Amino acid sequence: MHAIQTLDLTKRYGSRPAKSVLAVDRISFAVEQGQVFGFLGPNGSGKTTTIGMLVGTIKPTDGSFKLFGASGPKGLFGARARVGATLETPNFYPYMSGRDNLRVAAAVKGVGQPRIGECLDLVGLSNRAKHRFKTYSLGMKQRLALAATMLNDPELIVLDEPANGLDPQGIREIREIIHILADRGKTIFLSSHLLAEVERTCSHVAIIRKGRIVTWGAVADVVGEGSAVLLRADDTEALADSMEAYPDATSVRRTDDGLVATLDSGDLASVTRYLAGNGIYLSHLAPYRPSLEEVFIDVTQGAVDSMTEIVS
Amino acid sequence: MKILRVLLRIEWLKAVRRRAFWVAVAAFTAFTSLPVIERVRGAHSNPNAVFALPESWPVVLGTAGIGPLFIAALMILLVAQEFSWRTARQNVIDGLSKERFYAGKVMLLAGLVLLFTSAPVLIGVGGTMLSPGEGGPGFIRASDFGYISGLVLGMLLFGSAGLMLSVHLRSSGASLGILFLYLFVEEGVAMLMLGTGRESLRNVAEFLPFNVVEDLGDDLVHYPDVLAEVNAERAEAGLAPLEFLDVEMLAVAALAYTAFFLGLSLLNMRRRDL
Ligand SMILES: Nc1ncnc2c1ncn2[C@@H]1O[C@H](COP(=O)(O)OP(=O)(O)O)[C@@H](O)[C@H]1O
Ligand SMILES: [Mg+2]
Repeated sequence: MHAIQTLDLTKRYGSRPAKSVLAVDRISFAVEQGQVFGFLGPNGSGKTTTIGMLVGTIKPTDGSFKLFGASGPKGLFGARARVGATLETPNFYPYMSGRDNLRVAAAVKGVGQPRIGECLDLVGLSNRAKHRFKTYSLGMKQRLALAATMLNDPELIVLDEPANGLDPQGIREIREIIHILADRGKTIFLSSHLLAEVERTCSHVAIIRKGRIVTWGAVADVVGEGSAVLLRADDTEALADSMEAYPDATSVRRTDDGLVATLDSGDLASVTRYLAGNGIYLSHLAPYRPSLEEVFIDVTQGAVDSMTEIVS
Repeated sequence: MKILRVLLRIEWLKAVRRRAFWVAVAAFTAFTSLPVIERVRGAHSNPNAVFALPESWPVVLGTAGIGPLFIAALMILLVAQEFSWRTARQNVIDGLSKERFYAGKVMLLAGLVLLFTSAPVLIGVGGTMLSPGEGGPGFIRASDFGYISGLVLGMLLFGSAGLMLSVHLRSSGASLGILFLYLFVEEGVAMLMLGTGRESLRNVAEFLPFNVVEDLGDDLVHYPDVLAEVNAERAEAGLAPLEFLDVEMLAVAALAYTAFFLGLSLLNMRRRDL
């Protein structure tokens, strides 16, 4: 069954056409139960807005979505009891202790007190539970948010940029917790602008840019999309010039290893014939498996402005 | 029914962990105790000066007239910051509907009003017990009850105004600023309207929210005999007698304002994204 399914989900902020922002533009994707699904896109691409609609704090302008197959206000309200989520930054009462904050969340979720201790243990915050939230480091805040989402033992966990602003150590801690949860069979939907993070953590991914889903599916499929080849020849410059003129090549990129070209067809014989006709003889030709980062550059057509955020 | 318990529990936790809450309660209690303490001490040294309920209700309730302002400020602190901290959003994500979040805040208002009403009542009872001398029969007279009810209505009106400002502005600073600016402006506008001497404008000025609250918390409105005395003195001094709207009219106006502010808050909660 699908944990999440969206159909042409759309959000436009503001009603005046001149000033309004189309933050999410007819996006459709589905998350199966048990998947660790990455929602990848640069800052401002519409990730938070999409999650806000899923968790019910933002009203969609158009389109629809289902949680565990349920839709409509009543169905969604019921389905959300099976969801634990955080949106953007960890949102807690700064003057309350970590434990008291979880008490509030537990009361809202209708969960008993014993769960609070368990969840604090899971994220390693038990020894700081009595301290006020505002004294926590960012990593501790993020972990408290994770603990809060876990209180009702949800089947679907939705995390908005859980690694945001953390140092490598903090990111690793969050990643470890996510792995524990995934091993317990939870469905995890996490947004990120960090490619490496998604590549390491997720089984599935949707790439969003300017409110539109560019591509989505299993990470392996998204990475395998299009047939890329790695080429080497003595004269790299001539090789590059020729490949850029080759009609079947949708993109050509220089790497340290050689030239990576994405081809419309997998017809390698034609490539060698074409290059030989131009007087270029290949020393190396092999299928190339790009990283998610390279796919991202491809699908976003090398948008430099968004890349600086993506790789940072 | 279970949801009411849940709302009560979370609003309780949010309030009692908040230092501003206790500071406000302590300040209000101290403020309302002062005249009572003074009277009780006076009663110990002077056999003619008695402090005892029901006669001494006006002394007890006189300073409680500041209650509505305290309630408005507390409501703003306990509601507006839920938006700046984004905890309102998190409450809704955690499973509270926007309507239930709002209902929790209405319960908070009711709780604060109850607390700020019981404080002076308890202080009055305590003062009577500590003071020598006996009061008249009974614990409370109809006009005392009217006075207390007037204060309750004033607190509800200002508290719901605080809720409305918080929900609209989502910032405690802006809400407090607008609240006090409004009170200031209303005073000025009311003065101008009364200054024209036109009967219709005069009526409008009487029904402005701050004036309604002030009148409901004024002992002259609730004790006709005191008003008669004051007006007799004024007549001697050549001043025009003081006139007030009927208590019933004031009460209806206060309830109407309260309902209006609560309704606006709910509409806004429903309409806007968190
Ligand atoms: N409340 C809002 N009002 C107007 N525009 C908004 C609002 N929230 C977000 N936006 C705009 O919508 C777009 C998507 O934002 P967001 O969903 O926060 O992106 P992301 O989470 O991917 O960084 C951005 O252009 C942002 O400026
Ligand atoms: Mg975001």
